[in-house]
Amino acid sequence: MKFPTYDISKYTVRQLLALPIALLIVSFLFLGFNTFTTGMPVDPGIDFAGGVAVTIPPTADSQAVVEGYFAGYPLKSVGEGVNGGYYVVFEYMADEDFMSLSEVISEHYPDAKVDQIGETFGKTLQAQALWALLFSFIGMALVVFIVFRNFVPSIAVVLSAFSDIVITAALMDIVGITLTLGTTAALLMLIGYSVDSDILLTTRVLKRKGKFSEKMQGAFRTGFTMTSTTISAVFLMFVVSWIGQVDVIRDISAVLLLGLFVDLMNTWMLNAGILTGYAGGDKR
Amino acid sequence: MSDDTEGGFVKTLKDWRVAVMLILVVFSLVSIYVIPPGISNGMTGNLQLGLDLEGGSWIQLSFQSEVVRFETDENPEVFAARIGDALDAEVFLFEEDRLEIRAPFTREELELVFVENGGSLVTYENGVSKDTADQIKLILENKVNNLGTKDARINTITGLNGVTQYIRLELAGVDITTAQEIVGAQGKFEIRIQTIGNESEHVLYGDSIKSVSTPTQSPPGSDVWGVGFSLTEGGADAFQDAANTYGATSNPDAHEIMMLLDDEIVYSASLNPQLAAELKTIPVRELRATTGAGEEGLEDAQKLEIHLRAGALPVDVEIAGSGTVSATLGEHFKVMSVIAGILALMAVAVTVYYWYREPAIVLPMIGTTIAEIIILLGIATYIQQLDLASIAGLIAVLGTGIDQLVVITDEVIHEGRVPSQNLYLKRFNRALGIIMVAACTTVIAMLPLAVMDLANLRGFAIITILGVLIGVIITRPAYGKVIMAILSKKPGDH
Repeated sequence: MKFPTYDISKYTVRQLLALPIALLIVSFLFLGFNTFTTGMPVDPGIDFAGGVAVTIPPTADSQAVVEGYFAGYPLKSVGEGVNGGYYVVFEYMADEDFMSLSEVISEHYPDAKVDQIGETFGKTLQAQALWALLFSFIGMALVVFIVFRNFVPSIAVVLSAFSDIVITAALMDIVGITLTLGTTAALLMLIGYSVDSDILLTTRVLKRKGKFSEKMQGAFRTGFTMTSTTISAVFLMFVVSWIGQVDVIRDISAVLLLGLFVDLMNTWMLNAGILTGYAGGDKR
Repeated sequence: MSDDTEGGFVKTLKDWRVAVMLILVVFSLVSIYVIPPGISNGMTGNLQLGLDLEGGSWIQLSFQSEVVRFETDENPEVFAARIGDALDAEVFLFEEDRLEIRAPFTREELELVFVENGGSLVTYENGVSKDTADQIKLILENKVNNLGTKDARINTITGLNGVTQYIRLELAGVDITTAQEIVGAQGKFEIRIQTIGNESEHVLYGDSIKSVSTPTQSPPGSDVWGVGFSLTEGGADAFQDAANTYGATSNPDAHEIMMLLDDEIVYSASLNPQLAAELKTIPVRELRATTGAGEEGLEDAQKLEIHLRAGALPVDVEIAGSGTVSATLGEHFKVMSVIAGILALMAVAVTVYYWYREPAIVLPMIGTTIAEIIILLGIATYIQQLDLASIAGLIAVLGTGIDQLVVITDEVIHEGRVPSQNLYLKRFNRALGIIMVAACTTVIAMLPLAVMDLANLRGFAIITILGVLIGVIITRPAYGKVIMAILSKKPGDH
């Protein structure tokens, strides 16, 4: 077994925490800045902002042709898929405009997938998604505190889950994935993934007898096997949905993928660092 | 240790955890393909597929109406009636202190009117009462059935406070234009009058009906139900004219008044003597169709109300959101989902093999994961339709499932050796402890999405929760048993 060796006890607590904390702060400021300037931490998709999204299956038409068909409508973006299809997004428009747009779409691309969300409905969804995120997070934190009944390790788990979500959300915005119902669900799913590896680490290190560095090393082997396996599954889901232009799954898997890498860092640097500081390493 | 290697396989199969898993796999396969026979549907069998996999359209409607809670010292019914007059809108008092106002008003507008009439507004929300929502659902269902759509789902989306904000229609195999027509289309309502024998003459059409009230008792408290409706001026003239011309005013019993919806008789009765007398001299605009006494009378009255509205909804609706997927694209998504699932599973197998280099571990792991997916799909045939979001959930849950099998494996085989039975059980339980906590948090994290009605995210959440539960309760304990049996058979390990 060629396992990456990662001897956590080689590093000081400060070295372990520096990168994840810095990234957390930068991401937090970035999201804060976005919220301040645009009202949303991450650029919202039509689910939350209202608008029309059209998935056009593979076609011989060039991007200019596609844009030409929709020139009279509030076009927001046109993305080209690897398979020659397009993903077109429009800003919110009145019902009559949507009706005529529907005709244009069905005339040129009868097989397209069209979704339209009204502005008010988008607002409702936005508020509900926010509540869902809040409830999920509080619920998770409660479970963690009840299970560990120990302040520092619990905070470490909760903080790294929080950091997973914040950094991933910032990365999402940078690579241009919009916040939709699907990507919100993916962010919530990250809570589950994040806690998975954190709990493994905390349990192994705190509830076992033995040398600290060995317990850490053992936990890392299992944790890394876990996360790398999940990454491989999610990566293929991403590739297939990207090529096959299944945008719902593509966005969900892209967010999960980013989140899993962020989680590797947060679990094995942030959480492991806090635990090292807390449990005192090997009493060197 | 004392593990009996001969017959170990049979023994493992007989272990209840493994047995339960296998029985559930069989049960699931039967649910998907055999009962009811689903092979003809191809690969997907009896799985309920969402619109984005099957092709079809959805429309989510919001209501141009409000539900308010109010306070007043007066009799609520009297107060409500006055509010209705003041707003010139239809109102419906569905609880002692809650009023449904069937026209769009802002909170400020209503507050003013309530205060002017000696009351006050306590809460204000957009939407309709549960009763009205059910009625709208019924009307839409009737329309959809009339069009012979094969597969339609209509759901009201109601908050915890009992106010329904949205109603969602999902129509498989229907394009968006047709779906919009279904929502907007109205039936043809007509009133005719009996002339001689079975013959009848036209009196008026539905456009002469100005408004229709909800079922009421007349006189109040008598338990005799009916529906009041008012005619336009022209309608009232036509009605009076017909009643006099064909003799319904002088001999009501021989000349019944009939109501027809799309040329079918939905109500027929004779004029009551008092009305007959009145019609001899003046046109009457406020009419009432009595349906009878008791529960049956009420039900008939409710149906008649719907007929009188001729498929028009009691509240104006607006399209909050809509979408459509063609059958071709749905088919493409279906194929892509299956490919994504299979490739994800293969990726997992390769990665796990890369780390463990031990078929005796990898095969049971992948086997368990497949069993988990089959059971999940089998149970899903009964409770949840699969759409793209729930397929993403399925693959995500496959990821956590493998995570946890890795935890069990690493915990049990410490330093490449299989422990004794006692130590094994101890370690296995320890691993289950970690898994339980992880599962618990995932379920809690997904719970809000499963409870709230955030469109298609509910499927994602339900599939994830279901998958985690199946894993923790059924497949992971079984895996622990299997891996123990297989590894203890390997020579030279203990």
